[in-house]
Formats: sequence, C-alpha cells, structure tokens
Amino acid sequence: MLSFITKRLLSGILLLVVVMTGTFFLAHLVIGDPSYGLLGASATEAQRAALGAKIGIDRPLTTQFVDWVSHAITGDFGVSWRSFTPIGDQLAQRVPITLSVVFFATLLSAILGVAVGIACGLRPGSVLDRVLKSASVILFALPGFWMALVLVTWFGVQLKWFPTFGYVSPEISVGKWLVSITLPSVSLAIGAIVMIAEQLRNSVIQVNNQDFVRTLRARGLPRGRVTRHVLRNASPAALTILALMFVGLIGGAVVVETIFNLNGIGTWTQSAAQIGDIPALLGLTAISIVFVVVINFLLDLVLGWVNPKVRER
Amino acid sequence: MTRTRAALVAIAAVAATALAACTGTGGGGAAPTDAAGAPQIDELKAGVFLDVTSWDPANADIGFDGPYLSAVYDPLVSLDKDGKPVPGLATSWEWSADRLTLSLKLRTDAQFEDGQKFDSAAAVANIDHLKKGVRSGQAYLNVASAEAKGPDAVDLKLSKRDDALLYQMGLGRSWMASPAAIQANSLVNAPVGSGPYTYDKALSAPQSQYVFNKKDKHWDSATFPFPKVTLFPITDQTAAFNGMLSGQLNMQFANAANLPKAKENNWNVASKAASWVGVQFADRTGGQVKALGDQKVRQAISYAFDSAGILSAVAAGSGTVTNQVFSVDAQVYDKSMNDKYKTDMAKAKALLKEAGYADGFSVKMPMSPIFAAWQPVATQTFTELGIKVEWVDMAMPDYQKNAPTYPMFLAVIALAGNDMATLTDQVTTAQWYNPNPAVDAFPEVKALVEQVEKAEPGDAQTALLKQLNTKLVDLAWWSPWYQADNTYFSVQGIKVTPMTGMMFPTLRFIQRG
Repeated sequence: MLSFITKRLLSGILLLVVVMTGTFFLAHLVIGDPSYGLLGASATEAQRAALGAKIGIDRPLTTQFVDWVSHAITGDFGVSWRSFTPIGDQLAQRVPITLSVVFFATLLSAILGVAVGIACGLRPGSVLDRVLKSASVILFALPGFWMALVLVTWFGVQLKWFPTFGYVSPEISVGKWLVSITLPSVSLAIGAIVMIAEQLRNSVIQVNNQDFVRTLRARGLPRGRVTRHVLRNASPAALTILALMFVGLIGGAVVVETIFNLNGIGTWTQSAAQIGDIPALLGLTAISIVFVVVINFLLDLVLGWVNPKVRER
Repeated sequence: MTRTRAALVAIAAVAATALAACTGTGGGGAAPTDAAGAPQIDELKAGVFLDVTSWDPANADIGFDGPYLSAVYDPLVSLDKDGKPVPGLATSWEWSADRLTLSLKLRTDAQFEDGQKFDSAAAVANIDHLKKGVRSGQAYLNVASAEAKGPDAVDLKLSKRDDALLYQMGLGRSWMASPAAIQANSLVNAPVGSGPYTYDKALSAPQSQYVFNKKDKHWDSATFPFPKVTLFPITDQTAAFNGMLSGQLNMQFANAANLPKAKENNWNVASKAASWVGVQFADRTGGQVKALGDQKVRQAISYAFDSAGILSAVAAGSGTVTNQVFSVDAQVYDKSMNDKYKTDMAKAKALLKEAGYADGFSVKMPMSPIFAAWQPVATQTFTELGIKVEWVDMAMPDYQKNAPTYPMFLAVIALAGNDMATLTDQVTTAQWYNPNPAVDAFPEVKALVEQVEKAEPGDAQTALLKQLNTKLVDLAWWSPWYQADNTYFSVQGIKVTPMTGMMFPTLRFIQRG
C-alpha cells in the first residue's frame, strides 16, 4: 500500500511540474506584452516600460521562470499584475465559491445518480429504467447553459425562490449560502446525475449477470446480501465517473459562474486571460492541477481499498 | 482614451444575441411608497457591467468606473446633464485672457476619510498625481503645472490652450483623494476620499458587490438621494436582466434587445449616444495603401455600407445612422448631412472606378472576437465593392496595440459630450485609434482647426466647428455607420440621466424619480 501511495504521489508531482512548465512558457508566448491589457491603449512607451520593470517581464524568460518556481514551491504565487494583490489572497476568495458549487453539485450527482442507477440496474426494463433512458438522451442533448437559464428563469425570476445571481459566504449566513449556490449547483449537477446513473446501471446489470452472483443466489443468500456483493463489484466504475465528473465540473463551472455572476475561479480565469494577467493564470493552473491530482489520488486509494487488485498495477 | 476599450466591450455585449428571458411581469422589486404614492427607494442596487478598474483615480477608467468613484470621491469639477462644467470642490474658476491659466477657487469644508482636510495643497498633490497617471494623464497633457495660491485657490498653468480641460476634469478626471494615501500608494487597496458615501468594506466583496453608506454630513448631500448604494459588476447581460426581473437590481446597464420586456415591466428606460461604430482610416494619407489617400476611395467605402441594416441587425436599432463623430446631441452635429453617404453600391463602385481602382485593391485588416458581429457584413460589403480584405485575427488587447499599424480597421470609439473634446479626441491628437492624425496633410482642415483653437468659446467657435465637421464628412475622414446608444433600465422611483462620454453615469445622474 505504501509503494502504491508513493507511486501515485510521484506521478502527481511530475504532472504538476510538466503542466506548470508548459503553461508558464505558453502563457508568455501567447500573451507577449501584457501592458496593453493592463494599462490600456493610451499609456506611453515609458509607462509600459516602467510597468515591465515593475512586474519583471524585462528579464529573460528563463530567469522569470526560475524566480516564479522558487517562490511557487513555498506557496507564493506572486501578485496579480492587474490589482497587485497577492494571488494567494485572490485564490482564497474565489476557490471557496467554485468549490462550494462543485462540491454541492457532486454531492447531488452522487446521491441521486447512485440511487437512480442502482434502482434501474436492479430492475432493467422497468418504468424507471425506461424514464432514465429517455431522460439521459434529452439531458445530454440540451446544453448546460440553457438548463441554467431555464432554472434561473423559473426558480429565480418567476417564483423568486432563489437569487438570480451572486454568492453569499457561509461566514455571513449558512442559509443564504445554501440558497445562493442551489441553482448553480443544480445546473451543473443535472448532466452529471444522468451520467452517473447510466454508468452505475450498466455496471450493476453487468455484475448481476456474472457467474459468482448466480452462484450466490443458488446458495440461497438473501437478496440484500447478494445486492451488497453486486454493488461492491459495480462501484469502481461509478466512483471513477464521479471523480472525473468532479474534475470536469470545475472546468464546466465557468459557464455557470458567468450566468449566475459568481466570482469563482472560472470567471477569474476568463478575465485574467483577457488582460494577460500571467501570475493569476499560473496560480489558477497550479490550483486546478492540485485538485486533479488530489482527486485522482483519493480515487485510487478508494479503488485500491475496494479492489486490492488495483494496487498491483 | 481608455473609454474606448470600455465602449468596445459594452457595444460587443449589447450587440451579442440576447438570450430571451421568458418571464411574466411583476419583476423589478416593488418599493414602498411615500405619501404622494411615488415609490420611495432607499437603496440603489445597480448592475454596472464592469468591475472598478482601480480605486486610484489616476489609474481609473472613465468608462464604467464613474459610479464607484463618485460614491467615495469628490471632484474638483462636475458636469451638468448637458456636459457643462459645474462646481465641485472648486466653487468657481476663471480663465486668464490668454486662456493659459485656469484659476480655481476651492471649498474648505471637505474632509478626507483619513481625517485630512481638503485644501489647495491637497488639490495640487492630486493634480500632480493625475498628471502622471497612466489613464488620467491624457486629460492633463496641456497642463504644465498646478500652483497653490493661498489655502483655497489653485492656478493651473497650461503650456497650450485647452478648451476641453474643464470638461475632461468634470467627466471623471478630477477626483480628489487623500494626499497621504497617494503618497503611501495605498489607493490600490481601498479608496480614501471625501465623497458623499463611505465604502463598507465589511459588506463588500471585491469583483462581486460594493456597498456604500451615505455620510450623515457632506457638503453636497442633497445631490445624492439614496441612503445606501450597492453596485454589482455584472458582465453577463442576461444575468443583469434577470436580476432586474427578480428585484435583486433596481437599475442596470441594459441591452436594447430587452426593451419590450422593460416596457412590459413599466421600467424607466434612458438612452444616449455613447460611441461611433464603423471604419477608421489610420492611413488617410495613403502612406501604406495608396488608394486610401484618395478621397473618392474613402467616400466609396462610406457609400458601400448599409449602415441602417447594420444598426438594426447588430445593435437592435439602438442608435442613430450618421456619418458624423460629433455626438447626435452636440451643437455641431448637423442632421441634414446624414444622407450624404446614403447606401448606394453603384455610386460606390463608380467612385472607385473614377479613382482608378475599377478592379478594387487588396488590404489587410485586423480582427478580434469583439468585432465578430460586424465581420460578416464588412467582408460582404468590401467584397462586393471589389476590395479584397485579408483579416488578421488577434486578441482584444493586441487589437488596440496592432490596429493602428493597419491602414484601416473596424472601430467602436467612445464619443465625447463636448465639441472641443471631440476635436481633440477624434481629429487632432494621436490616440491608439488615431495614430496618425495627419491634419497637416490636409491644408483646409489644418486651417479650420487653427481657427477653431483660436476662436472665442461660444457661438463663434461652434460655427467654425460646424464648418470643420462638414469638411471632415466630405473628406470621409472616417467612415462611421452609426452612433450607438447606451441604454439603462431602472424601476419606477429611479431616474437615470445618461451622459455621452460616460459609459455608465456617475451617481449624481441617478436620482429619485
């Protein structure tokens, strides 16, 4: 188990190093001179040069990279070129917003997706199963932003049950926080619920048809115990999908954040890219990679615990 | 001007296809009523479209920063609804006979949040700071120095006559901040002003919402009716519109496409010309592309475009078809000239042929996603005219950097609410969108510009500006298609007075009503 954990950690660190190096040089290559985005078009050459010296882009790229890495490994991602506030502070403000929405969406997806998936998998061909089939086709065909707009129009504008935009920190009010993230989370979760349910349904049907399940039934085991065995063998696929969904939802949050005017990492990525705020982009990339690595690492741990054969890979 | 970028962003957003919000009536937040039955709104909740650029007035953008900065700072000079300078912290002013010295008399009853008193030393410190500012500096290009003349008077010494100076100061280039905060460079974190409201940092969430509470005592308290102001930067116009419908907002920077819904909800609608949209000729002397140096070629381009069609299709009809860049509300604007380049492709082709370009010519033009809405019609029109355009794609910041290096480009350029400012911004001064003013290459234009700059402000100057405007339109100095309006929705009980030159009006232009 220890070597399994070590291997996973090392591969995660390697991924972080490769992606961050690539992002650093690619960002500098694509953005070039950020002074136009940061100072506006009316700035003089002298003012642009002064900004360049202030943010350090007048130095060779390799020097900048070494400087950035030496600070980043201590958790210091520098300051935003736009506001000159520490990237860490900005991340501390924005990451909770995105994670609130994504965690809540994942939780909804897990609870509803697993419940529906198991119900349909244990009774293939039932009414519920046929409804899931139809719903999955429809919900996959509908774009996420359209679903978000329908939700906000109906529950926000018409019924006024939820705010149409904005985020309330749980430090201010837990109730208002939950209300503020409900619509964005549900918008994100709808597609994920269907995907998890579909995946789990197929796994349950597949495991149900295996010889060992027939043997268990033939030996007269109670239905509940048989089902437990089935679920234990069917769960890895659903867990994998759930972890992938979580990572995917972080990426998909940008659309929902825009529609609900949430200042999470999605909208920040957009604005940072528009004005060429490279330290912000690098900080965001680093934090996103850490999420991916951590989620995958936890997934591997859980899968390894569920299925010991995984640890040997 | 930094307002141009804001104009570009705003226009692009307004031009984007509106996602229809299918709702009933009844949104907008019912307000309590006063004794007379009029809605009594105590909190202004405005959707502003863009976040504040900076709390430092020297780095702030005039475009959408006005409402934020006007809450916490007092200006030396304000503007009235017609764009005329009116007193702020400067109670009066006087020009010297040669108009090279502007003497300002100051109030002495204002105090900054940090306890410092506003006086002539503070005003001088601020003007020096604004003069050095990356964004504000352009307003003070002709100001050589600021000198205190006692505790309540300041003289601005000009190196060159500048009849647009007071207008620019009133537009948002004379916010006074605490000299100590300027010195400490702490304005990047939070404002330190003497304005009518106090910034509530505890309830505010940067980039999300900004809360301001009205001060109990302020010298201009009567101008600011709302006890509380909350400003929400909301870039997505659908989100802002939904906010209005649900009652979370009671005022917004609006998309004209939602006008029917606004009327259905009985909201107040206010619109005013904000920017001109069309083709900018950076090479009107023909240095890069010889053809563009020919007046007939530029006129041909002006005749070729179906401006009314573009206004209707891209901007939901929210604007005025015109070939002038003096605002439609300006004294200089001449409505009778709007038919000069009425769409006529046959005439356009004939003019091109007369100029010796029967087979057209080739030209490279920059393109950015923000102009994507206009690209198809531009491509179609140029192709029909015989001009082969090769579009070079780039990001928006690169567009501002690179567009001036191309002979012509599509442009959305902020209008000024003052005729002399228009002359400076659009004709005589090098800007990113006007890298080569080339006034010297056109003797008639040069002569008229000189006469205007020497003329006595008032009717004489306006008459000369009208002549100049006519000449510029005849020369097809630019090829505007239309002047686009900015539109604002507000619920009953809130009245917005839009201002040309401000993408979003400052708080003094948002009143009860």
